[in-house]
Amino acid sequence: MHNSKAHIWFIAPAIILMIIILIFPLFLAGGISFTDYNLGNKTFEWVGLENYDKMFNRKTYVKMIWATATYVIVVVPISVVLGLCAAMLINSLRFGADIYKTIFFLPVMATLLAMAIAWEFTLHPTLGIVNSFLANGCGGVREFILGFHWLPWVDSQESWYAAACANNMDFPYWLKQKNTAIWTVCFIGIWQAFGFNMVLYLAGLTSIPRELYQAAEMDGAKSTWEQFKLVTWPMLGPTTLFVVTITTIRTFQVFDTIEILTKGGPSKTTYVMMYAIFEKAIQQNLTSIGAAITVVFIGFILVLTFFQRYVIEKRVHY
Amino acid sequence: MGTISLKNISKSFGSTQVLNNLNVDINDGEFLTLVGPSGCGKSTLLRIIAGLEQQTSGDVLIDNKNVNRVRASERDLAMVFQSYALYPHLTVRRNLETPLRLRDYNAFERLPLIGNFSPSKKEKTESINQLVNKTSETLKISELLDRKPGQLSGGQRQRVALGRAMVREPVAFLMDEPLSNLDAALRVHMRSELSELHNSLKTTFVYVTHDQAEALTMSSRMAVMIDGNLLQLDTPEEVYDNPSSLSVAQFVGSPKINIFKGTSDSGGTVGFLNVNLKRKSSESNTDLHIGIRPEHLEITNESNENTFSGTVAYRENLGSDIFFHVNIEDGSNKIIVRGLPQFTHQISNGSSVNIKRVSDKALLFNQAGMRVQFTNA
Repeated sequence: MHNSKAHIWFIAPAIILMIIILIFPLFLAGGISFTDYNLGNKTFEWVGLENYDKMFNRKTYVKMIWATATYVIVVVPISVVLGLCAAMLINSLRFGADIYKTIFFLPVMATLLAMAIAWEFTLHPTLGIVNSFLANGCGGVREFILGFHWLPWVDSQESWYAAACANNMDFPYWLKQKNTAIWTVCFIGIWQAFGFNMVLYLAGLTSIPRELYQAAEMDGAKSTWEQFKLVTWPMLGPTTLFVVTITTIRTFQVFDTIEILTKGGPSKTTYVMMYAIFEKAIQQNLTSIGAAITVVFIGFILVLTFFQRYVIEKRVHY
Repeated sequence: MGTISLKNISKSFGSTQVLNNLNVDINDGEFLTLVGPSGCGKSTLLRIIAGLEQQTSGDVLIDNKNVNRVRASERDLAMVFQSYALYPHLTVRRNLETPLRLRDYNAFERLPLIGNFSPSKKEKTESINQLVNKTSETLKISELLDRKPGQLSGGQRQRVALGRAMVREPVAFLMDEPLSNLDAALRVHMRSELSELHNSLKTTFVYVTHDQAEALTMSSRMAVMIDGNLLQLDTPEEVYDNPSSLSVAQFVGSPKINIFKGTSDSGGTVGFLNVNLKRKSSESNTDLHIGIRPEHLEITNESNENTFSGTVAYRENLGSDIFFHVNIEDGSNKIIVRGLPQFTHQISNGSSVNIKRVSDKALLFNQAGMRVQFTNA
């Protein structure tokens, strides 16, 4: 058996393909990131860590890391928690579950590009449905709810909503304004991602044996919260690990919405990594800095994957 | 105290009626087995007692208190599930502690970290530890306390599930086919352990099984259920020797009781095949079923008006007993006869044999399947 070479023939196609389309480009990108090479150049010079030095010191790239981090840190937890909540709510429904599943899953199935254009119109500062909805609600219930007037410490004259109403319907420009753009993009990211997480959690929930809940009930876990703590959450551990990993990797990759809606602006507040790679390496033809960003990007993903594989995996599989 | 009374319990799922007007009184400290073929509603009945399922009509009384509106967690019962339903992410120790933690600690003390500041928590933790240690010693699982359920064998999980039910000293134990996932040898062993446990705890046990052997060996009384009806509730001896109906007689006992078609004449004399029974039936001039258990038939060399003959179709050797599956000559019956190995080892498949009855053991049933008594005369 040890003398047989057959196994080489079986795995060779996969290995060769992997080397050609994955590993070689990766090392190539790694190599280019230490040079000043640009696409089309005949020669190049080794510049050492200069590209990386730029990345961590130039304002643009610091903003890039900041935007990416904000996006990931906001979108991942919220879309995971929302996905779990939606899945548990749907799971407890006797009928109508399919309708909700479809509604929440639609954004996942739809082309993100088309959805981004739809959002662009929706969020348009003057023509968009969001701002006209807000403008029509001045002085009404919408103002009370969305202006947080129901919170005891919010002065109904001073809230952001009241101020906008008073100031000639000066509602946020959502995607065109420095302080709202990243949050608006995050919102669209969450809207797009949580349906997928919901479906994964629904699958996870159906695999929890009903007897465990009954055992918990017999053991005296009376409240839904106790049962969630004792059964649902631990039993969903493997699902959660998978959901978090997938969502993190997908949010790191956010590109379509940025390209359509903001192009990284205003003033680089939504300048996420994937968009930066595209802009530098493809649009501005600065291959070497694009390669450096790519290497850092892959570094992040690798660290995450290893963390998942070797640290958390041990705790969620029983 | 641990008495449980079920009064006129009915249960239907949609239009399917699964339990028909059941009445059962379970005494304190009793080992009551609910036994019946699968789908007879015995598990549903157990779950109604537990409070995990709501009956369609009727009352459940625990210690003479109506608990229809009391939820499962407040009925103070403990249940052992068929799948054990251990929490896979917790160690055995934590599994055993869970019922105590949930009941003894208050909401504040269950909080992580800050809960430890509660002054009474230390004392409670102490007593929980003691109870867990005591239980694990009783069940001989002390050395398993730090493992997780995934690292245990079937029998060990079974013990842990029992332990989780025991730590709390509940009013009664409910067990839903707890032995059915074990291999045959371990199942027989656990039967005796469960009986011993019941003897030492002296708590009420309600035990569901489809295995009539478990019911016969362990219970103080057994309730035979078929198709949602309670057919007989009595001691195992009584159910076996004196079944109230044909279905009970056929369900209890392995191998199955032999049923012959026969008739009674105007004088009440019962005849089947070429044989007449000595005792007279209380119902005359009717068709009857005559039931005779395999151990009440013997293979014999005699041939007279009290024996009948047949051909051995299959010989089932169990070591201590040999069961002969015999085709009766007129072709109407296939019966099972028990033989002792020392007398019957030479009989093989295909041989002709004569069979005689052990007297006073036949059971009569009418066409509706109800028991017919012999007259005393």
